[in-house]
Amino acid sequence: MTTNTQGNSSRTSGLLPVSFLLMVLLPLLLMPLGAIYVFAVRGGLSGFLATLRQPDAQFALRFSLLIAFSTSLLNGVLGTFTAYVLAKHRFQGREALSVIVNLPVAIPTVVVGTSLLLLWGPIGLLGQFLDPVGIQPMFAPFGVLLAHLFVTFPYMLGAVKPVLDELEVTYEEAAYTIGANRWQAFRFVILPALRGGLFSGSLLTFAHSLGEFGATVMVSGNLRLRTQTAPLYIFAQFEAGNIATANSVAAILATLSFVLFFVLLRFTERRSQRLT
Amino acid sequence: MKRRAIFQLINWRLLFQRLSFASMLAGLALYAVWPWIPGVRTTPPRTLVIYGFSILGEMMNEGIAPAFQAQWQRQRGESVQFISSFAGSGTITNQLVLGVPAEVAILSLELDAIRLVEAGVLSSETWRRLPHSGVLNRTPFVILVRPGNPKGIHDFADLARSNIGVVHPDPLTSGGANWAILAEYGAGARHSSAPAEAGYQLLLGIWRNVVAQAASARAARTQFENGFGDALITYEQEALRDSASRRLQAEIVYPSSTIFSEHTVVTVDKNIAATQRELVDAFVTFLWSDQAQSIFVKYGFRSVNEVFNHANSSFGRINDPFLVSDFGGWPRAKREIVDAIWKRRVLKEIGQ
Repeated sequence: MTTNTQGNSSRTSGLLPVSFLLMVLLPLLLMPLGAIYVFAVRGGLSGFLATLRQPDAQFALRFSLLIAFSTSLLNGVLGTFTAYVLAKHRFQGREALSVIVNLPVAIPTVVVGTSLLLLWGPIGLLGQFLDPVGIQPMFAPFGVLLAHLFVTFPYMLGAVKPVLDELEVTYEEAAYTIGANRWQAFRFVILPALRGGLFSGSLLTFAHSLGEFGATVMVSGNLRLRTQTAPLYIFAQFEAGNIATANSVAAILATLSFVLFFVLLRFTERRSQRLT
Repeated sequence: MKRRAIFQLINWRLLFQRLSFASMLAGLALYAVWPWIPGVRTTPPRTLVIYGFSILGEMMNEGIAPAFQAQWQRQRGESVQFISSFAGSGTITNQLVLGVPAEVAILSLELDAIRLVEAGVLSSETWRRLPHSGVLNRTPFVILVRPGNPKGIHDFADLARSNIGVVHPDPLTSGGANWAILAEYGAGARHSSAPAEAGYQLLLGIWRNVVAQAASARAARTQFENGFGDALITYEQEALRDSASRRLQAEIVYPSSTIFSEHTVVTVDKNIAATQRELVDAFVTFLWSDQAQSIFVKYGFRSVNEVFNHANSSFGRINDPFLVSDFGGWPRAKREIVDAIWKRRVLKEIGQ
């Protein structure tokens, strides 16, 4: 009984901070997001659907989703491997490497795009040797994928590495003592523990990839029906003054990321409940 | 009893959540790969990669592309897909220098084409071999003001008055901005006994009033549309399209003296595969055909062929039009006006 009333009182006294939070968040986050939806449906639902049916809008959405799926998949493997090596092995330069792999969080994405161009572009350090033989990774879908792998790399790592760091070595050692090899130890001991980290890491990577702009605009060449992702499409349409078209696609992206983060939130909540 | 126990063991809510999440992901993935599933897509069309400066977008996508697609379909029975990108002329030029796979580029000014030669993208000034030395169409520079012209702006000189906010594209990335500078300078310099000084004074006066600079003519218009400033200096074409579509509530003011911009077509030969040559050439030829030139007029550009220009009644009259050739061509105008006067004197004076 007592705990119950305490719970209730702490809930009512939360009214003040909650309304204050809402006051701050309303102009900061909620109203701008609302504006997207208001402008998207200004021309009515049929107008909203008509703008979405345009082939370049369809392409942009599909292309963005494809890139986001591939990025999550590739960085899922690559990030887990990096986290495993960094957590389980002691070697010279390990600290420096841990810093470097987290750099993409702090580097402006435009710089990431430029650096990729200066390496793989037709006049880049390596690209100038590839260009004569007809290989051009930049200004092509592959270049966009490279940029997204780079930019989202830390998210997978950030989700997986803490789990690996905290995982008791004894479990793994126990596996070895009963004759497991390295792969078996990884597959049957470590991987099951990582499931949660992999899931939230993939979702984060997916969401970031879906919204990536700065690096993509540099490496894609912004070609409609070939390399134009949904955010680039939104920007191009907005610049051209087609605000309704831009906002229709923006509304789709916003809804999608809302659902993704909602799932992520529910998932992490359930996990923390299970752990306590 | 036993069955019920098993039934209760299953966490239905969790199962439902997982299933719905999995089906959502599967649905998204299916949607994403749909056009690439074998059998869904018909034979891939031939592609033509076009880069163009900002205000061309609408006309190319809605006017020129469908017309050329129809012609090629009729003649060859093949469908052509336009892979295109539109941005400020300077931005496009920078992208071309970095190596984007453009086959044809339409630049706002010849100066950007010359930059492509300097960067080695073009082997020489190849556009001079095209019809009209590569000039595709023209449009005069005009002033756009708020409805009713509340500030009483009637010519470039009025933009130099105090209390006027001017929205101007950025000369660093926008070709239109470079044209605008020549227009402003020329409006002051022409018919003056001390042309260089008069041109400088007018430029300085206008640039003191610049409240917003956008990366391209299109972006500048979007800024003006969103309520920035009292006046926008832009292409007549842009202004006509906007008032026709009633999207922008504004009035066009025709200066008594202004420049006609000339837009240059270049073919980027190093990006054109042997198999593409015929298609690219057909497209470039099409651009100067009567059909294409009348499409330009319909979309508010002035044709290089004067006869077509009577078709558009909304074209305004300009008493004293001039061209970049009146300043000795772009290389000289860039050196003597944009660099020597605007960049080194005006920008310095207003402390930017």
